[in-house]
Amino acid sequence: MIFSIAWKNIWRNKLRSLIVIAATTIGVAAGTFSAALMFGVATQKVNSSISNEVSHIQIHNPNFRENYEFQYSLPEAEKMMKAIARLPEVKSVAPRTIITGMIMSAASSSGIKLSGIDPEIEKKTTTLYTKIADTSGVYFGEGLHNPIVISQKLADKLNVRLKSKLILRFQSADGSLIEGAFKICGIYHTSNGMFDEINVFIRQSDLGSLIGSVPVHEIAILLHNDLQTAEVFAILKKSYPALEVLSWKELLPEIGMITAMLGMMNYFILGIILAALAFGIVNTMLMIVLERSRELGMLLAIGMNKNRLFRMIMLESILLSLCGGAAGMIISTFIIWLTSRTGIDLSSFSKGFESLGFDPVMYPEIRPAFYLGTVLMVIITGVLSSLYPARKALGINPALAVKNE
Amino acid sequence: MEIIQLKNLYKIYNEGSIEVNAVNGISLTIAEGEFTAIVGPSGSGKTTLLNLIGGLDKPTRGEVFINGTEITKLSSRELIDFRLNNIGFVFQSYNLIPVLTAHENVEFIMQLQNKPVAERHRRTNELLESVGLGDKLDVRPSHLSGGQQQRVAVARALASKPRFILADEPTANLDSKATTNLLEIMEHLNHEENMTFIFSTHDQRVVNKAHRVITIEDGVVISDIEQEQLAHSSQI
Repeated sequence: MIFSIAWKNIWRNKLRSLIVIAATTIGVAAGTFSAALMFGVATQKVNSSISNEVSHIQIHNPNFRENYEFQYSLPEAEKMMKAIARLPEVKSVAPRTIITGMIMSAASSSGIKLSGIDPEIEKKTTTLYTKIADTSGVYFGEGLHNPIVISQKLADKLNVRLKSKLILRFQSADGSLIEGAFKICGIYHTSNGMFDEINVFIRQSDLGSLIGSVPVHEIAILLHNDLQTAEVFAILKKSYPALEVLSWKELLPEIGMITAMLGMMNYFILGIILAALAFGIVNTMLMIVLERSRELGMLLAIGMNKNRLFRMIMLESILLSLCGGAAGMIISTFIIWLTSRTGIDLSSFSKGFESLGFDPVMYPEIRPAFYLGTVLMVIITGVLSSLYPARKALGINPALAVKNE
Repeated sequence: MEIIQLKNLYKIYNEGSIEVNAVNGISLTIAEGEFTAIVGPSGSGKTTLLNLIGGLDKPTRGEVFINGTEITKLSSRELIDFRLNNIGFVFQSYNLIPVLTAHENVEFIMQLQNKPVAERHRRTNELLESVGLGDKLDVRPSHLSGGQQQRVAVARALASKPRFILADEPTANLDSKATTNLLEIMEHLNHEENMTFIFSTHDQRVVNKAHRVITIEDGVVISDIEQEQLAHSSQI
């Protein structure tokens, strides 16, 4: 009964109610869309970091990552990889030899992180090979002598192109300087400028030709499902307590932190939007109460108790908020659905995005839990907005309210 | 049987530094089945008296007994509940909830009383029929004339099966035809169902129909005459 009256009361002044609803719609649509955009950017970042860079889990010698020193390799790496590959959650296991050194062209030089890889296994573990455009060469292949894959960013810095010759220089385990000449077979480009600037890839077999035995410094593990990370991480941590087992969240702590904080930040932004809208709703509800003071006084006179009156005013406020909230979420869902397919292309700012490690084409992402949270916040806004006007309504003296003019 | 007893009732308002005695020591009783008009000039205290009887206002001094219950001692919440179940109201204006139909307005009171759906519908239809609005069940007040709205208000006032109905200048905004219709309905209900009506009014037509006329001036009852006495005095 109270619900029905409250709903009908909202539409007594259609224009006024529609203005309030429109304001709420725009606020909620903007808030949820910006949240979806941030969620999408974060997910893209996490996914690209996992698929291009770090995989889900990595294993190292506990001393290795301090200075990336050659001698800190993984013992019995082959045996370890076979055991890990047997886990049903594991999709692929890739061994890597990681060396820091210099790369030199005729024009320039740069510090780099050299990864000696098995290309066929790497293709199953990362998607870096897909970041080489058709016109930018190949990701290794048959019949190539000392091929090297570098980034477009590094190529520009070194002023080289496909098939250019580069010299790699690094220190071996005994401290001696090793040099080798390599020819660019492929040039990749990811959205992470920082990654691109320093990472170069050669075959482990070619590295072996330079230094003899090729140690494994890093085992990268890709899982079938992101959600299995914690479970597999726990298993590996227990299986190899003497080694450093790290998940992607630990390898990329800033991304882990951002994704953890993102939900809270988005609620905070939405909360600010709704708080601003609440003032509009309070104003509208106060006008409603003042305009209807005689009618409300009449209701009290004929026997509607204060509890019901309070609930009726509160319901009107909640329904106003919910109408706007629902419309806002429907509109934002449609926009998010559309842009999640087309992407929001900010390529004109690509340099800036890539320097921060973000893809300039963004794909917003709907998160059902956030929508539920939004509904709750909209209801809370309606409730809080109604408190003062409802209190005003309870203060109406029915004797004065129904007094004849 | 007496249903209303007022004992030495006072209502004093403070308007700045001035005290206004709206009701000034009124004592009277009203029995079941009365059709009583309270008359007096503007500012005489008619509406204040009606508000005190209806529990819409608390007296400064004195007691109000409705069916043996001293309503002046009830809390605000108890008073609202008491009004719902014992008193029907018909106001001069703003009687009905504009967003509800005639049927819903009458039914509303019984919803407040948590009556079952079937009983609500049956009684609402009966009441609207009895006031001649059986064909206006689904019409909103904005599409009813003033007289029709007041008849719906009477039906609503009766819906809670009150002990009596208070009507504060119910005919003030009506034309003569609507006034006549309304009075006929109220008279009929008074006669057939022994429903007690207490009016405050300026309207001579209402006074003429009343069985008892209480005249108030400056918050004091200056005359309290039964209709037969009025008829006798007019003959003299």
